[in-house]
Formats: sequence, structure tokens, C-alpha cells
Amino acid sequence: MSQPLLQVKGLRHTYMRGTPLEHTALHGVDMYANKGECVAIIGHTGSGKSTLIQHFNGLQLPESGQVVIDGVDLSQPKLNVKELRKKVGLVFQNPEDQLFEKLVGDDVAYGPFKQGLPLEQVVEQVKWAMELVGLSFEEMKDRATYALSGGQKRKVALAGVLALRPKILVLDEPTAGLDPKSRKELLERIRYLNRQEQLTVIFVSHNMEEVAYLADRVYVMAGGCVVCSGTPREIFGNRSVLEEHQAGAPETVEILYRLYDRGFDVKPDAFLVEEAAQEILSVLPGIRR
Amino acid sequence: MAGEFELTRNITIGQYLPTGSVIHRLDPRYKLAAYVIIVIAIAMCSSYLGNLVALAFCLWLFWQSRIPIHYGISGIKPAVPFIIILGVLQLLFYGGIATGGTVYFEYAFVKITSASIKLVIVSAVRFVEIIFISSVLTLSTSTTQLTHGMERLLSPLEKVKFPVHTFAVVITIAVRFVPTFAMEMEKMMKAQASRGAEFGTGEWWRIVKRTKDMFPIIIPLFNVAMTRAEDLILAMEARCYTPGAARSAYNHYRAAARDYAALAVGILAALILLIVPDPL
Repeated sequence: MSQPLLQVKGLRHTYMRGTPLEHTALHGVDMYANKGECVAIIGHTGSGKSTLIQHFNGLQLPESGQVVIDGVDLSQPKLNVKELRKKVGLVFQNPEDQLFEKLVGDDVAYGPFKQGLPLEQVVEQVKWAMELVGLSFEEMKDRATYALSGGQKRKVALAGVLALRPKILVLDEPTAGLDPKSRKELLERIRYLNRQEQLTVIFVSHNMEEVAYLADRVYVMAGGCVVCSGTPREIFGNRSVLEEHQAGAPETVEILYRLYDRGFDVKPDAFLVEEAAQEILSVLPGIRR
Repeated sequence: MAGEFELTRNITIGQYLPTGSVIHRLDPRYKLAAYVIIVIAIAMCSSYLGNLVALAFCLWLFWQSRIPIHYGISGIKPAVPFIIILGVLQLLFYGGIATGGTVYFEYAFVKITSASIKLVIVSAVRFVEIIFISSVLTLSTSTTQLTHGMERLLSPLEKVKFPVHTFAVVITIAVRFVPTFAMEMEKMMKAQASRGAEFGTGEWWRIVKRTKDMFPIIIPLFNVAMTRAEDLILAMEARCYTPGAARSAYNHYRAAARDYAALAVGILAALILLIVPDPL
């Protein structure tokens, strides 16, 4: 197999080093992401997820251990951080807070302009990014950012990162605090970006339905380490891991586990809604599949 | 470079370092009173010997409070440019105002005398002392204690209709939000850096460009601050906060022997600084 697009080996990180308040956020993390994959990182607050993803675009540099992205080792002293940030788009929690321009189009164009691209190309990339997140370029570009709804603002912020044309999109709790409709829309957009545009997506989430919907592979983090990784089916099928780290599971899995506990013959790792429905139907008396 | 965004690390105001020392356990009213007295004495003390004593006293305070001295030193770092500018101005122009002292150098309006050199040295040392003693105070006293102490100390001013309580609330909130906004700013800088922003990379004389570089941080930060302020108002009112209403206090301070002792030490130190004769 060829080299993964993103590879992390033995990554450690300590905050407030050399002060009495120092604490180690990452204790040797290993992970990778292949091109076109969608990888989820789950785990409790304080498990090191945010610190980890900040290493992906050089906001934090490896203290020890290795981060290699698209063949570039982040430990090398002559690292071109700007190039790296063009490759890896990082969307923070509540990204709508970061909008600062008066008009939507200007805000999305901030990144491409900072790269010093010519105007036509900036316009083209802004248009591409806005259409991708489901904002009509013609209609939205001259709207005032402050007058948008929360969900729209978040889409604008996402477009602002996509406009850099990254190879890897990293999202920190992309749907936190959104209403159900915006949440669904945003998830569909992310899925589209991953499946249709072949964008490699890495996201942090507390919502297992999202993980089930989007992820190809899942990393479970606890106490600054990756404690478990695998496909959603492997993770959700591994009850001891779920319980030990209180990782939670999608409702489908929860229901199947409850049925299983009552002695019904179901496979609890059938986390997709259709699969779970089939499993439940299979044990309902009087209904033949 | 990795520390580029670790803003919280450089902010010592409002940082509390619990070591449980005697100084930490002092009644904040007495601690604050002793602090004010000593700072005034330091400000008035203009002799070499007096400042040497004051410096030694500050170091003794660090030792007593079991706070590593490098905390005090890191507090000096941001003040160094001010100390230098102040020193240069005093060195060049003070000699012209002050009388007496030996004249070492004179050209046009620049006049360097022994008096101006002394002033430069003494004021730099004073600055360091005041930073040291303030660091000890803030590192050994939590912000709630500090504001409570201040409120109690200022309470006589209520007689002259000074809004002591409101003042204390304003200070509490301001100090409380310093670390919050530092974190918010850190997040904002990281978010904008992820979109290709650069900070502090332009040449220092291109002030307009460097200011413009800060817009992507300042504007959202203002927004966040406004939102937070509105939330805070609601949260306070939801818990029945009424401006100007009489309020009882949760903490009641009772001074113990060590608090009187601390005040006495403060007054003694101040007196020593003040009676050291000037020529020394």
C-alpha cells in the first residue's frame, strides 16, 4: 500500500512546558488517514482531540514523534507552514465566530487573497467553495455576514476554508450547536465533499449518529492516547470498549444491544438505520423476511 | 514558533499559583493594605541603599510565598521597553531640570549629571521592585479574594457616595475575563492562521499593514465580547443581581495574629525605606 496522506507516529505534546502548570495532552498518538477517506476522532473532553488536530496544519508542531502530511515531515526545521495550511484546511469549533468581513463573498475570499492569487482565480475559488457548501454565489456573495442565520454563518466559514482548496479537511465538532435542519444539511455537504469531491475528511465529534453516517474509520481517544481504532462496525460492535470509555453509540446500536440483552438473536453492530431495521424485523414474530 | 499561539502562558495577571504558604493564607484586606503601603514607600524612596533594602525585601517575599522567582522575572520582560525608554529620557533631560550634582556631560539641552544617573538607576530598580511585589500579591491571592479585599478596604468611601460595590463588580468581571479573552483570542488567531493569515511578520515600521493584519482577530473578538457581555447580564439578572442593592457577603474575613503581623511588617518596611537618608 502506498504512503497514507496523513501519518502520525508516537506524537507527544505538553502544554505550558517548564511551568508548574504543565500537563501532557498527547502521550504518543499513532494514526493515519488515506486519500479520500473519512476519519472520525471521538473521545471525551480533554482526551487530546483538539490538540491532535492542531498538529495537522502546523498550529502545533511535533514535540516528539512524527507527523507526515502528503510526504512532508512537520518536524523538519525548514517547514513551509503556509504551504501546509493550504493543503490542510482546519475548521475550528463554532467557526462562525471567525467571520469578520462585512460581506459574505469578501470573507470567503480572505484566504485565497492571502495566498496572493490573481483576482479571477480568487473569484473562481470563492464561487466553487460557496456552491460546494450549498450557498448560491450570485445570491449570497453580497449579503451581510451579520444578518445570516447560525447555520448559514457556519457554511460561510466552511466555505472560507474550502476556498483554499485543501487536500485534507479537518473539522472540530462541525455540527455542535446547530439546529437539526442545518445539522442535516451540513452533514450531507461534508459527505458530498468526501464521496464526490474525493476530499480527505478528518473530523472530531461527540455525536455518534454523525460518526455512523460519515466515517470510514474511527479513532477512540482517551487520556491523550488512541485507545481503539477501526471501522464504525468494529467500534460499535465492541461493547467493552464503548463502555470502558463511555464513548456512546448510535441509537440503532443502543437498541440492538438492548434487544440482544433480552435474549433476541440480533447482530448489534448493524449500525445503519436500514440494517438495524432488518435486524429488528428478523426477530419480530410473525413477520417473515 | 510552536509557542506562537500560547498566549495564556504569557499572561501573569490574574494567574494564581496556590502554594499554600503563609502569604497565601493572609487575610486579603491586610495583605492589600500592606501592599499599598509598601508600594507607596517604594515610590517615595529615592536612595540607593533604600532600594537595595526594598529589593531584598521583595526577594524575601518570593521566598516566603514559595513562588519561583522566574515568575517575577517573566513579569519584568514586557516592561523592559518602558524601563529603557524612561531611562533614556531621564538620562538625557533630567539633568537640565534638577539642580546640583556633578555635571559629566553637557551639549545643547542635554545635560547628564550624577543626579540624573542616580535617578535612572533608582527608577529602574523601583520599577522592578513594584513588579516583583505586585507579582507576589497577584500570584498569592485569588482574584475573588483580591476584589473582596479591595471592596472591604474601600468601603469607607461609601460615605461619600462612591459606588464601591459596583466598582468591585466591574473590576471582578474585568479580571475574570482576561484569561477567557486570551483563550478566545488564541482560538481566533489559530482559526485565521488556518486561513492563511499572518501576524507580526510585516516590518515593524509598516504600522498600517500590521494593524490591518489584526482586523481578522479584533473584529470577531469584539463580536464575541459583546455576545458574552449580553449573556453575562442575563445570567446575573437570572440570579437576581440588582445594581445598587444591598448585598450580604459569602466570605467573612476575620483577621488573625498573622494578619496584624503582616501589616506591621509592611509598615515597618515602609518606615525603613522612608527614613534611609537620601544621599545614600
